[in-house]
Amino acid sequence: MNKEELLTTASLALLELEEGEVDRLGEEIARMLDYFEMMTKLDVDGLEPTTHAFQKTNRLRADVLNNNNNNNINNAFNRNLIMENGNDVEDDFFVIPNVL
Amino acid sequence: MSDTMVNDKYETFVGLEIHIHLLTESKMFCGCKANYGDEPNTNVCPVCLGYPGVLPTVNQKAMKMGYTVARALNCRLSRKTYFERKNYFYPDMPKNYQISQFQEPVGVEGFMEFEYNDEIKKIRIHDVHLEEDAGKMIHAGDMSLQDFNRAGYPLLEIVTEPDLKSGEETEAFLRAFRRMVRYLGVCDGNMDEGSMKCDANISINTPGAGLGTKVELKNMNSPRFVRRGLQYEAQRQAKALDEGVKLIQETRLWNENRDITESMRTKEMANDYRYFPEPDMPPFCPDDSFMADVEKEQVELPLARKHKIMRKYGISSEQAEFIHDEKVNADYFEQVMALGADAQAVYTWLSSDVQKELNLLNMTLTESPLSPERFSELLKLMDDGKISGKIAKQVLIDVFEEDRDPSAIVEEKGLSQISDPQAIGAVIEKVMAANEEVVKAIREGEQKQKGFLVGQIMKETGGRAAPALVQKILSEKLR
Repeated sequence: MNKEELLTTASLALLELEEGEVDRLGEEIARMLDYFEMMTKLDVDGLEPTTHAFQKTNRLRADVLNNNNNNNINNAFNRNLIMENGNDVEDDFFVIPNVL
Repeated sequence: MSDTMVNDKYETFVGLEIHIHLLTESKMFCGCKANYGDEPNTNVCPVCLGYPGVLPTVNQKAMKMGYTVARALNCRLSRKTYFERKNYFYPDMPKNYQISQFQEPVGVEGFMEFEYNDEIKKIRIHDVHLEEDAGKMIHAGDMSLQDFNRAGYPLLEIVTEPDLKSGEETEAFLRAFRRMVRYLGVCDGNMDEGSMKCDANISINTPGAGLGTKVELKNMNSPRFVRRGLQYEAQRQAKALDEGVKLIQETRLWNENRDITESMRTKEMANDYRYFPEPDMPPFCPDDSFMADVEKEQVELPLARKHKIMRKYGISSEQAEFIHDEKVNADYFEQVMALGADAQAVYTWLSSDVQKELNLLNMTLTESPLSPERFSELLKLMDDGKISGKIAKQVLIDVFEEDRDPSAIVEEKGLSQISDPQAIGAVIEKVMAANEEVVKAIREGEQKQKGFLVGQIMKETGGRAAPALVQKILSEKLR
C-alpha cells in the first residue's frame, strides 16, 4: 500500500495520522493485505458471491408500531431514557457542534 | 430564454433520482412510528438511533411497496434482493452508514411512459431501491440540533436514465410520476412536506455528441423549481460552452430566492461509499405468493386510465386530464357514468359547480355528501325536465348543506319544474295584465322587452317554470 492510498483510507475512516505513523502503518497494513492476497488465488469461477454467512432468507417483520415512543415510563426504550444518553440535549433535540 | 433556445444549439440530458416516503405505519427497520411533524425525537428507538447490538428487520409492507412500484415501472424484479451499507460520516445518520441497496435492488431496467405536448414519451428507469431516510438537523449559531424522527423512515429511490430533454419536460414527468405513486397508494407525493424529493443531473452537449459534463442539482422542492433549476442550469452551461469555458463535474444547489444555481463546496475527494452487504439482514427472495400480492397491488395507471376514459366516454384530452388527475375522482366519474349519465354533463358539473362547493367546504369528492348515486339522481331530475338547470344548482348546494337526496329536497321544497301549459299560461296572463305598457311595446316591434316579461314570469314561479314552454306560450299570447 502506498502512502497516498493509506492517507485516503485514513481520511475515509476520519483518522488523522502523524508522519511517523504513516510509515509504520503503511508497512503493517501492506502485510495484512498480502495475507488476504492468498484468497485471490482461489478458483471461484462460476460461484455466486457469498453475501451472507448464513443461508437464511426472508426475515421480515409486519408493519406494526412498537409503541416505544409514547413516553411510556415502563418501557426501556422510552424517550426520556433515550434522551438521557445524549451528551447535550436542548428542547428535546440532541445538540452537537455546528457541522455546516 | 426558453428551453428550445438552448436546445437549438445543444442537446440537454436530464436524469432524476426521486425519493419517495412510503406510506407505512412504522419505519423501515424498526417499529417506530413513521410520521411527519411529531415532536422531536419522539419516534426513536435503539435501532434507528444506531445503538450497538441492535437487529434491524425489514418492514414487510415497505418491501411489498418497493416491488409494487418496480413492477408498475416495468422493471426486471429481483428474485434475490439484499441490503448494503453505504458508509459516510455525517451526524444525520448516527450509525455512520445508511442501509440502502446497491448490487441487487428490488428492480432494474424499467421504463415509464408519460404524456408531454400530446406525445407519449418513454423514460428508462435505471433501478428502484429501498433505503432508510436520515435524521433532520437544524443549524443554529454554533450548534446543530438533531431530530431523529425521520431517521429510518422507509424510502424508495427511483433512478432514471438521462432521457429527459428539458426542464419543462422534466416537470411534466415529475407530475406524472407523482400521480402514479398516488394511484398506487404508496406515497402521498407531497413535495412541500418532503415526502417526495428529487435531485437531478444535467449535462448539455452539441447534438449527436452524447452526454456532456454532468452537474448534480439539489434543493429543488417542487416540480416548478425542478423546471426552473434545470432551465437555469442548461443556460448557464450553454453560456460557458459558448465562451469556451470548461465545465466541471460538481454539485450545485438551487437557490429559490435568487433563481440561480450555486456551486456547493467541492470536496477534494470523490465520495467513496464502500458499499458492502448488510450482515444483519439476510437476503429477501420473493416467493410466488409475494409476487401474486404485488400483482394484486397493480392498478390501471394514470396514462392508461386517461386514454380509456377519453375513448369510452368520448371526452377531450383536457377534460380527461382533469378527471383522471386523482384516482378517487376518476373512480367517482366512472361510478356516476355506470349509473347512467351524460359524460359532458358530468364533466361540466364536476369541474365547475361541484368543484366550487368542494373548495368552499374544503373537502374531497369522496368525503362529500354528494355520492355518485345522488349526483346521478340530480342529473336525471334535470334530464327528465323535473327541475331546471338553475334549480339544480340550488339543489346541489342543498345536498352539500343538508346531506340528503336531491329528490327529497326537490319534493320537500316544492322545487319541481312547472311543465303544465295551462298553469304556465295562467301565470303569463297575470304578468301580461300587470305590464300592459310593455306588452304594447313588444306588439309594436320592441322584441327586446320580451326578456323582461320572461324574467317576471320566472320570478312569479320561483324559477320553476319550464323555460322552453314559457318562451313558446308567451310568443303565442303576444301575437
